[in-house]
This record gives sequence, C-alpha cells and structure tokens, in this order.
Amino acid sequence: MELILLLLVPLAAGLLCLATRSRAWWEWLNLGAFAIVAGLAFKVAIDVAGQGTVMALGGFLRADALSALVLALIGFVSLVCAIYAVGYFRRDERDGKIARAQLRRYYVLTPLFVGAMLLVPLADNLGVMWVAIESSTLASVLLVTFYNQKTSFEAGWKYIIIGSVGISLALLGTVLTYSAAVGLLGPETRGGMNWSVLVGVADKLNPQAMRLAFILALVGYGTKAGLAPMHTWKPDAYAEAPVPAATLLGAAFINCAIYAIMRYDVLAEKCLGHDFPGKLLMGFGVASILVAVPFILVQRNFRRLLAYSSIDHAGIMAAGLGFGGKIGALGAALHMVFHGVTKPLLFFCAGNVQQHYATPHFRKVHGAIRTLPWTGGLFLVAALAVTGTPPFSIFQSEFKILSAALAADHGWTAFLFVAGVVTIFAGFLVHLSKLSLGAPAQPGPRVAECPWKLGAMMMVAVAVVGLGFWLPGPLYELMRQTTQIIGGAP
Amino acid sequence: MIMNPSAPTPIGSQIIMLFAALMLVLQLLLVVQKMLLTNIRLYALQSLMLTVIAAVIAWYYNATHVYIVAVLTLVGKVIFLPWLLNRLVRRIKIVEEIEPLINAPTSMLICGGLTLLGYIVARPFTTLDKLGNNTLAIAIALLLTGFFLMINRRKAISQVLALLTIENGVMLAAVALTSYGMPLVVELGIFFDVMVAVMVLGILVYRIRESFASMDTSKLTQLKG
Repeated sequence: MELILLLLVPLAAGLLCLATRSRAWWEWLNLGAFAIVAGLAFKVAIDVAGQGTVMALGGFLRADALSALVLALIGFVSLVCAIYAVGYFRRDERDGKIARAQLRRYYVLTPLFVGAMLLVPLADNLGVMWVAIESSTLASVLLVTFYNQKTSFEAGWKYIIIGSVGISLALLGTVLTYSAAVGLLGPETRGGMNWSVLVGVADKLNPQAMRLAFILALVGYGTKAGLAPMHTWKPDAYAEAPVPAATLLGAAFINCAIYAIMRYDVLAEKCLGHDFPGKLLMGFGVASILVAVPFILVQRNFRRLLAYSSIDHAGIMAAGLGFGGKIGALGAALHMVFHGVTKPLLFFCAGNVQQHYATPHFRKVHGAIRTLPWTGGLFLVAALAVTGTPPFSIFQSEFKILSAALAADHGWTAFLFVAGVVTIFAGFLVHLSKLSLGAPAQPGPRVAECPWKLGAMMMVAVAVVGLGFWLPGPLYELMRQTTQIIGGAP
Repeated sequence: MIMNPSAPTPIGSQIIMLFAALMLVLQLLLVVQKMLLTNIRLYALQSLMLTVIAAVIAWYYNATHVYIVAVLTLVGKVIFLPWLLNRLVRRIKIVEEIEPLINAPTSMLICGGLTLLGYIVARPFTTLDKLGNNTLAIAIALLLTGFFLMINRRKAISQVLALLTIENGVMLAAVALTSYGMPLVVELGIFFDVMVAVMVLGILVYRIRESFASMDTSKLTQLKG
C-alpha cells in the first residue's frame, strides 16, 4: 500500500498544482506532498529492514534493501529541497528574476519529476525502470531551462540530446537482456523482464547477449549518472538549473542511475563472473574521477564545481562496484547514501551565496562568512564533508572502497583513485576557503538569512554530522542486506 | 539460445527481413537528403516499415499485444510525430538543411562502414535459425547511422529526427529479437516517453529559435569548462 501511495502522492500534488493559481497553494502542496513522501519512504525502509522485501500490485512494485536505500534518499532529498525552494524562489521573485508562470512550472514539474524517480527503485520490471528513468529526465528538462536564458536553453538541449542518446543504448541493453531471458524461459513466460526473475536464472543466460547488454546498460545509465566520457551535459545542466532542481538532479537522480547500473551489474556478475563487468566499471569510474580533477582545480564557477564533484562521486561509486567483493559493494552502497545526504548542503550553500552576490563566479565572492555567517560556515563544513575528510561519513565509504581495491589487488587503480580524490580535496579547499574566509574587497554588513533556506540547510547539516558518528539501526540492517544483494557472489 | 523454437515460416521471416532492409535504405536516404520536410517524410516511411514488421510478427504469433504495438506505431510515429514536426518546421520557416558537416559521398561511405560494423557486432547472434537472423545487425546499423546523423547535422530538428531513427532501430530490435515483443506495459511506457520527448524537444527547438534567431546547434557554445 505504501508503495502505491509513494507514486500517487507526488502525481496528485503535481496535478493539483496545475489546477491552483496561488503561490501559497503551490508551496504548501509541495511541502505537504514531499513530507508525506519522505515519511512513507522512511516507513518502507524500516519495514524492509525489519521484514525483508515488500511488494505491491502483484509484484509489479517491489522494494528490497537496495531499493529502500534509494527510496529513503529520494524522500530525504526531495523534502529538504521543497523547504529550501520556498525561500529560494521567494527571493528570486522579489529580485524580479522570475515570473509567476515560471514558478508554477517549477511547482508542477518537481512533484512529477520526484514521482518518476520514485518509480525507478520500485519497478521490478527492467523495462518499466527504463521508462521511469526516461520520464524523470523529461520532467527535469524544463526545470533545467527554468530561467529562460540563452544559456539555459543550451544546457537543456545538451541535457536532453546526450541523455536521450545514452538512454536509447540502455533500452537496447534492456531488450537484449529480455531476449536472452525469452530464449531461456520461452516466450510465454511472465516476468521475463523482471529483475527478481532474471537474477534467479542469470547464470544460464546467453553470455554473449549479456556481455553486450551490460556494456549498453552501463554506457546508457552511465550517461545519466554522469560517468566520463558521457558527462559533458552535467556542468551545464547543474549550473543553469535553479538550485533546488539542481540538487534533485545531483543528489537524488544520480542515485537512480547508479541504482540501475547496480541492478545490471548483479545480473552480469552472475552470468559472466566478476572480471568483465568489474573491469568496465573500474575503467569508467576511475576515468570519471580523473576527468573531474583538472576541471575542479581551475574552476571559476562554483555551481560548475559542484557538477564536477558529482562526476567525481559517480566515478567513486562505479569504481567501488568495480573493485567488487563484499567490501566494494558495501563501499559503493554506503557512498551512495552518504553522498546523497551530504550533497544538498553544498548545493544549498552555493545557492545562498549565488543569490546574495548575484554571481556564480569565485572571483567576485570573498569572505562570505562575514556577510552570511551561517552559509559561509556550513559551506566549509559541506566542502570538508563531501571531499571525504574524517570524521565525516564519506571518509568511511571512500576508505572501504580503497580497501576493496587493495584486497582485489588493483594497486595501480587504487593509486589513481587516491591521487584523484586527494587532489580534488585540495582543489575544493583552496577554492572554498577563499570564497568563505578570504578578505572581501569592501566588507558588507551582516545579512539576516532566510529561515526557510537556513532551516533546510540545518536539517541536512544535522544529518551529515550525525551520520559521521552514528549509523541508525535500520540503515545498518539495510546496508547489510544490500551488500548481500550486490556483493552476493563470494 | 535467443529465439524460441516455434519459428515462423521462411516466407514470414523473409518479409520481415525485406522491410528491415528497407528501413536501413530509408535511413541512408535520410543521411544524404538535405530538405527537412523530405527528411520528415522519410522518417514517417521508415516508421511505416516498422509498423508492417510488427503487424507481420503479430499475425504469425497471433499475439494481440503486438497488434496494439503496431497500431500505436502507426498512429504515433507514422502520423502524429511527422505531423507535429512538419508544423514545427513551417512555424519556424526553415525548410532546407544547409551544409551538413560532411558531404554526401563521404557520409555514404561512413554509413556503409557503420553498417558493416553493425553486422560484425551482431554476428555472434546471427548463427541462430530464425526470423531475427539479420534484424539485430540492421537494428545496430540503424543505431550507429543514427548517431552519425546526429553528429553530422546542425539543425536542431535534424537532431530530433536522428534521435527518432535511433529509437526506431531499438524498437526493431525489440520487436524482432524477442519474437514476441516486450510486455505491453513497457511498450506503452516507451511510446508515451517518445511522444513526450518529441514535445519537449519541440518546445526547446522553438525557444532556441526564438532566443538565438537560429536553430543551428553549433551556436550553442556559451557554456564551457
């Protein structure tokens, strides 16, 4: 029942926003819907942790531990984004940057976007999962072009064209997987596209078909996750979208794409052994980390910096999956959760700074901590957290992934991984310490921060710091089960 | 093995093969044809071939849901989308694609190479004994030439068309390779997504045209680094 409601609530909220005409309605509908979604998602996560897989509609919707992790993440991120969005767009409207129609577009499309994202981990059928990922892309394109600038259209165009090309490859991969299953189970079979059925027969699938299918799915969904070299849409889309939408893309949607890759990785490893999918994942993962390095070091725009950080983190997750074994799987899953929880803080702080200084460029912003003490301070915290400084949680997951690499005897890859991660850490620190602590040209007065935005940021900050020291029981249990699912083969 | 044992008669498989080959021929015509409106018609014709293939398969297997797929393809891709694109082209008053990056003979040669590549990639699957024999090769060839078409064209609408031919290629693989089509809910979902995608792309083309006074995507170069 919760699973069905999870899909219906955002859909209803989107349609109601289409029917109403006042900003107050839109804001409350969105806040209410996302509060319910977050509550339901957490409830499903706790249920799954307690009693295992939950199903609805005769198995059409299915949530196991891996799905539950992604669901809970989407729930959390969409709730804090909804809170932040209230303050963010009120400010934009006051500055005269947006019209009523645009505001409505955001509040209508966002619930639809989140609803489509929620279907990704819930769909057992790999074809439906594909449809859900494509639908979330389509719902988010007009959010990327939100500000109606030339640059927004450029970013939107790149986003949809590169994304659609990638996703058509993923569809061919899905078709091939299905054809392999049909060949095995016969055409009358029901559920030949269902992951839960496929995983049972994966070792008997035609290996040639699965090899091609895995490559196609990895490249296709890797485009959505932003793995290099298919990452080029990402900096543009993240920098041009309004901050709450960019946050949804960078902290929620990325998990959907990684989730899809994980599902195919399980099938491929069962069918082909670890070597082939592992090497591909390692290659794409480490390449993404290394591609992000120079762009982060010389970056002039802090919104684009966040996008390259997201490419780096997608790479880390893929690499963790590729190093394999139980530790690698655990590292990848942990990293997905920690990254998803940490990233919104970074986006929110960047959004605050951008709105206050009316620029996304580093050179125009110095000493933000004096003008915006909370934002400036939290920005530093977020930068430390996202680059994996202990005691923050991302350090743990990156360390796990590194140990997986060393355990699997991938010395060189581990070296490149560490080199990339450490350089990115240095780059982040140099940029953000200047932004936050540097001496301003003319010190402005302290500014009162918007309670909506600050509230959202505090919620995230509490979660970020909390997870550094304490993993809640259900989350621990979900991790354990997820490791069984994706690191299943010994 | 990829296919199920109950193969259709050789004649059925030959019909499918014929129409799949026609899809590829139309794709090559798209590559060399510069008039946008003609391109749209070629795409409609290509979708019609896909419809016929789906109908033949539905008839051989007597599968109701493949008939539904055929009807959807007919209504959506042969009639509705070409009409939508036509309207868009007329509204923004551009009929001819000026200067693709690579000239026609070279493009032809490249597409020949890509088709060959399609056959090489699909070879492990073509030893099987039935109707899908060469359709996977053609599907992959459609995919690859679609990518080439996308890179080679600058006009936003041509890129949309390229995307649609790629999608046609994938659907050909879906309908021929699985011999029974995908589950109906997936087909419906894909159909819905393609329709919405073209509408969103249409909106973008229109807005790009408005704000750049051009729909040459090579002018979209402000975002760097």
